Amino acid sequence: MSYFTKSMGVLVAAGLTVGSLSSAAFAASIVSFNGPAGEAYIGRFIKGIKDTAELKGYDIKVYENQFNQAEQDQQVQQVLSTGQLPDVFIWWPSDAVAGLGSLRALAKTGIPVLKINQLPNEQDKQYIFGYAGPDDRLRARNAGYMMREAAAAKKAAGGTGFNVLALSYPHSYGGYGLSINAFKEAIAGSDLEIIGDVDEGFGQANGYKGAAKMIAALQGQSIDFVYGMDDAILTGGIKALEEAGLVMGKDVIAVGTVCNGDKQLIEEGKQFGTTLQSPLHEGQLAIKMVEEYLNTGKLENYINFTPNPSVTADTIETTALRGYDGKLYTIEELCSGAWGG
Amino acid sequence: MSAPITQPTPNWLERMVRDYSAFVVALVAAFMVIFFIGMATAPNFLTLFNLKTIIRDAALVGIMAIGLTFVTLSGNFFLLSLKETAALSIVAFATSMSAGYGFEISFLFTMVIALISGMSQGVLIGLGGNPIVVTLGAAGLLFGLGSYWSDNLVISFRRPHGAEWLGTGSFLGLPNITVAFILIAIAAEMTLRYTTFGRQVYLIGANRAAGKATGHENFGMAIKTCAIASVCAAFVAIAFSAQVSSAHVNYFSSEFGSSGDMTIMVIATVMVGGNSIMGGYGSTLRSSFGAVFISTVDNMMVLHGFNSGPRVLAVGLMIVFSIMVFALVRRGSRSQE
Repeated sequence: MSYFTKSMGVLVAAGLTVGSLSSAAFAASIVSFNGPAGEAYIGRFIKGIKDTAELKGYDIKVYENQFNQAEQDQQVQQVLSTGQLPDVFIWWPSDAVAGLGSLRALAKTGIPVLKINQLPNEQDKQYIFGYAGPDDRLRARNAGYMMREAAAAKKAAGGTGFNVLALSYPHSYGGYGLSINAFKEAIAGSDLEIIGDVDEGFGQANGYKGAAKMIAALQGQSIDFVYGMDDAILTGGIKALEEAGLVMGKDVIAVGTVCNGDKQLIEEGKQFGTTLQSPLHEGQLAIKMVEEYLNTGKLENYINFTPNPSVTADTIETTALRGYDGKLYTIEELCSGAWGG
Repeated sequence: MSAPITQPTPNWLERMVRDYSAFVVALVAAFMVIFFIGMATAPNFLTLFNLKTIIRDAALVGIMAIGLTFVTLSGNFFLLSLKETAALSIVAFATSMSAGYGFEISFLFTMVIALISGMSQGVLIGLGGNPIVVTLGAAGLLFGLGSYWSDNLVISFRRPHGAEWLGTGSFLGLPNITVAFILIAIAAEMTLRYTTFGRQVYLIGANRAAGKATGHENFGMAIKTCAIASVCAAFVAIAFSAQVSSAHVNYFSSEFGSSGDMTIMVIATVMVGGNSIMGGYGSTLRSSFGAVFISTVDNMMVLHGFNSGPRVLAVGLMIVFSIMVFALVRRGSRSQE
């Protein structure tokens, strides 16, 4: 064996030893499979899990996919094939149904899996130890209550017209059914009536396009209220309504959710309110659940939601939430979208 | 001396029957029947407001498609980096606006970046690089730059700002973005039809060897057409940012069209317009109509109450249909030669 080969062998061995020691220095190791940091919401979520994991002394590796289940499946196979498995997996599937095979493969290793962001379904419940993430129903219900409140105030002031336009997620998306049903339940029994429901797609551009088409389709009927399944969609919808000559806050009252749109619209009175849904909180909650599981071997609650308080122009400057890291966060830090954070 | 025999000039129907197969005619006729029934039965379709909505809906994708048409007509296929060019541009524009530089400086700054991006890709394509491979690589580079620059955060600038006239203003009742689309469509078509550059685009696209023999190299053409496509993409980015007073590197990946990918929508628009993928045949006017046509069908389906699934299917069918019909038409016209 040459001197060079021996030296290389020593170096590799030393590297492996240092690597093992550095791994051992962490309280636990976590691997998270999720979407890309390039998406504003997920970018903040990743910041949440990384910062909180560091705070707790956990080693975390994040595998991002470009909203592509095949890519995520490949990442799962790569991680499993290395043989160096973590203490916990965090699983945010790109497509919960198509990704079931990968989730099963993760669970078969015997390592606990925490599902996040998308509520567990009947098929994947058996492979996870719990869920941490947003409550689509709660945020939609809160939006419905806010709209009821606005409608009651309008009626009390002698106003008429309670037609609602819903700017929705694609109807095939899992969150759509949960959101629209919860919203309908919340406005049931009031004067509010949904007269249109358009699912152009996610984001501001699609919100604009969907609303513009519905304004044309609903000519002859007044649009008095608009519900955005999230604020990004609603922001585009508000532009379309304004272009149609409607005055937001006066002719039309808009309520959204998720606080991923435009804070200035609420400040200007063009949007009545939203519900706070913080990706930062979601990331922190995921690590909190991991910590609870590692310490006790189970979760107190199988389903764990992030808080979704309502936010209106009156509360926008005073709303703050304490993170799971103990710090108090302002709404700008908690929200995604154009919120200045 | 006998009088010369004159052939009667065939009317459009006779020319169609002579030039195209019965299959093509039947396909187009069937499609047109479905299309007109759909239009006639869609509630509120034929209203001025809805017609304005259709053109406004087509505007952003249409402007990008006009830019891409120059590349396609010149025989350089497609740029797969359009949405990434727009992504970098929107980050550049919003960063500049939020720093308080105002609309004019932010506009110029963004356009310079887009020009550099387009010309760089053009150089590589002109040197013989495969347009698909070159622009696929550029796509990653441009998106990565935008992502790194913005730290993946939404960049916002408060209203009122100097770009509002473009994003939310209107002229004679038409949104300024629609006006921009119409003006760009006219300018592009005039350029192709009436300028030396336009004729060179067709020449090099139709026959690169002939172009080379007459001193018209693809090197310069690739640079120019890629620059045009990039500038159009940057304009769309600026207009969209002006409308929503913000920017995010991912806006063009997830927000345009139900397919969720603006580059694919733009390529589809060029194809539906009936431009030849091999170059040399087509026009920016066709692409503009392609954009309006897709928007019309989508609009009609919304008015009929279809949700996004069937609408995505309809756009897909239109692309397949267009490619098939134009391929048959081209084959038919070649067989006449």
